[in-house]
Parts: sequence; structure tokens; C-alpha cells
Amino acid sequence: MKLNAFRKKSPWILHYNAGGCNGCDIEILACLAPKYDIERFGMINTGNPKQSDILLVTGPVTKRSRERLVEIYSQMPEPKVVVSCGACACTGGVFRGMYNCEGGIDQYIPVDVYVCGCGSRPEQIIDGVIQALAILEKKTKELEVSVRLKNEAVKEGTQLNRRNIAGEIKKLITIEKN
Amino acid sequence: MNDLVVPVILIVLAPLIGGLVYGFERIVKARMQQRWGPPLLQPFYDVLKLADKRKMIVHSTHAFLGIMHFVSLWFALAVLLLGGDLILVIFLHLLSTSLLILAGYSTRSIFSHLGANRTAISTLCYEPVLILFAVSVFIQTGSFEVASIFSYNQPLVLKMPLAFMALLMILPIKLKKSPFDIAEAHQEITGGVELEYSGIFFEAIYTAKWLDYIFCYTLVYLFGANDPLVGMGLVLFVFLYINALDNSSARVNYKQMLRFSLLVALPIAFINLLLTILHLL
Repeated sequence: MKLNAFRKKSPWILHYNAGGCNGCDIEILACLAPKYDIERFGMINTGNPKQSDILLVTGPVTKRSRERLVEIYSQMPEPKVVVSCGACACTGGVFRGMYNCEGGIDQYIPVDVYVCGCGSRPEQIIDGVIQALAILEKKTKELEVSVRLKNEAVKEGTQLNRRNIAGEIKKLITIEKN
Repeated sequence: MNDLVVPVILIVLAPLIGGLVYGFERIVKARMQQRWGPPLLQPFYDVLKLADKRKMIVHSTHAFLGIMHFVSLWFALAVLLLGGDLILVIFLHLLSTSLLILAGYSTRSIFSHLGANRTAISTLCYEPVLILFAVSVFIQTGSFEVASIFSYNQPLVLKMPLAFMALLMILPIKLKKSPFDIAEAHQEITGGVELEYSGIFFEAIYTAKWLDYIFCYTLVYLFGANDPLVGMGLVLFVFLYINALDNSSARVNYKQMLRFSLLVALPIAFINLLLTILHLL
């Protein structure tokens, strides 16, 4: 039986702040409040990586938080998607190049959807999550692990990044759709 | 034979009805906060999604204890609905809770241990009151059988209103609702015992929560058992009361909960027992 359709009906969100200024986090919490009320799509803000489907990361990755970020990511059971939320999580933002930060979370984990803004507005976050749901629906349990094991991180100047992993997953998904 | 049909149907459909109750509760809770809320079938969507996730277990005993928690809770509910012994029902429910506590202690996660500790403390809070309720029922109707409540000539809520009050006080502890939701405490220990479960094994814990709703509301229904209208009215009242309380109160710590339950709810249940023995009501 195909259960893929139910994934987008009950996406459980895990929210992790990898060292940001809390601006995006407050916008994420505003999504849960009565005005935007994302619970009407069945989304819950769980605090538990083992039961969630969407990892919503804010903030640049500080050198303290990067191990936790990777650990939380690896604790989530597949299928899962990652949404990087805000300028810092996408590229490093104003913190890029600082001694204690890395530029963006895609150096450590594959990111499926980038949401811009500083801080990103609740409408943008909801839009990004809905786009992530379309990817989540098509992912299979094995797809992600197989691509992740095959690909090495690419070195760009002083920084590593794993952007190509998410890119390849996206390509595989579109091929399957066609 | 005929009077077995309704309980058996209820027992078989208990998870489905519990899911509907939980879905409805989420809508009611959202409307109380002026939100729109999820669709009614949301709990079932959650379950179908969880069935499709990759299976991750900590170790096999942990997963097994979680499933046994669900099975023994269903069994307790079956005994209750078939009109069995009230004391037996309460102890079967205690058995299912203790399986969950064991599951919490069987992992090395500190949050899981905290959750198990707190579940044990909340068991200490509600169990004495339930036992006193069962003893009061025995003195009132002359039997521990649930069936004797159904054939009693008056609604129990008129004969022992204080026991109903005590039940209202402990039900939020049992259902893990604010202000007594320390066992679950999503913002604090992220679910406690259920923390280490994932995928299809979390489903057992998630569905057991629905069975717990049916169990608690059946206990409430017993107070108006001989007249279905009174029973349903009480259930509706308790449903709204618990949700309103959940929305409007903050979490207390375990000491305050223990003090409230042992110094307020338990004495009220005791007074009820005394009044019943002396036939004052």
C-alpha cells in the first residue's frame, strides 16, 4: 500500500537553532500562533528528532553546534527533509567569515529548501515548508542514505559543502516523477 | 448473548473511537484558542505516516514493552467494558502503566528516565483515589462488578458526588493534561517515556493514549451508568472541563502535584467513603 500521500498531511517539525540571533525562531513560533496556525495542516512542533519529518534549522552553524546539528539530523528516521530558514542558515549571513562560524548549514547536511530573509517572514516559512512537503512526498526511505554514502563533500576555498548531495537527490526525484 | 454485542463492538473499535475523540479534542482545543485547528481525522493521518517511516529501535525489549503497554491497556479496557471486576480493571491499568515505566528505565536516555520517574509519581497520585472509588462502589452496590453499577437503581453521581469531584481532580493527571502534565511535558522533557520511540513503535504509544481517553471517559460514564443520558452528559461536561483546564493553566511541579493529590483529592475520596459507609447520602 502506498502511504506517501499521508506524509504531507501530518508533517512533524523539529526546530533547531544552530547559533542564530533568535529572530527567525520567533517567526517560526509565530507560525504556530493563532494568526498563521500551521496546525491546520497537521504540523506539530515536536521537540524530538526520532519522531519528526522536517528539520527546520535557523542560524549560522557555530563550531559548538555543528556536531549537534549532524547528530540531530542523523537521529531523524528517513524519509526526512531539511529546510534552512533565514539568511544565516542559507549562507552564513552577517556571520559569514567570522572565526566561530561556518557559512550555512549545507556544509554539514543536505538542504532541500532554502528560505531567505532576515528574519524570514511567517508566510515565507510556511511556503518553504509546503515546498519541502512536495519533496518529502516523493522521497523513499533508501534514496537518501544511498546518495549520502556515495558522495564526498566538495571543497570550496576554505569551506566544505555538501550541496551536491541534496542536488542529486532532487534530480533523482524528478526523474522518478517523469 | 445480546448484551455482549455492544461491549464487544466497542472493544474492537476502541482505537478508532479513541482516535476520533483525540481528533475532536484537538479541534476543540484549537477553537478555544481561536485557531482553526487540524482536521478531525488528523490522528489517523499521523498513524499512517508513522507506519511508513524507517524503523529505528533502541533495543528489542524497549520496543516490546511499548507494544505490551498498548496490549495490556486494551485488555484492561476490555475487562471494564465487559462489566468485570473494578479492582481488577484498576490493577490491569496499573500493569500497563508499569510496563511503560519499565520501558522508560530500560534506555540510557536521561529524559526517558525523568519521564519514567514522573510517570511513577503520577501513578502514586491517582491510584489511591481510584481504589477508594472502587471501594465506595462496593459499599454502595454490594459488588465490585462494573455490571452491578449498570443495574443500580440510581445514578452514582447523586449517591457519591464527592467521589466524582475527586475523579475530576485526578483525571488531568491520568490523561497527562495541564496543570498536571509533568509526565509528558513536551517543552521540558520532550515527551518523557515516549521520547525514544520512533516510527511504527511510537504508534503503539500514540494509540495507547487514545485508549486511555476511552478508559477515562468510561470511568466517568459509570457515574451515570443506569441512565445513558446522564452518563453522556457527564462525559461531555468532563471533556469540556478537561480541555478548558488544559488551555488555561500552567504546569505545576511534581511536589505541588503530589501535595494537591494526597492532601486534597485523597481526603475528599475518603470523606466520600465515610459518607457512603454511614449511609448519609
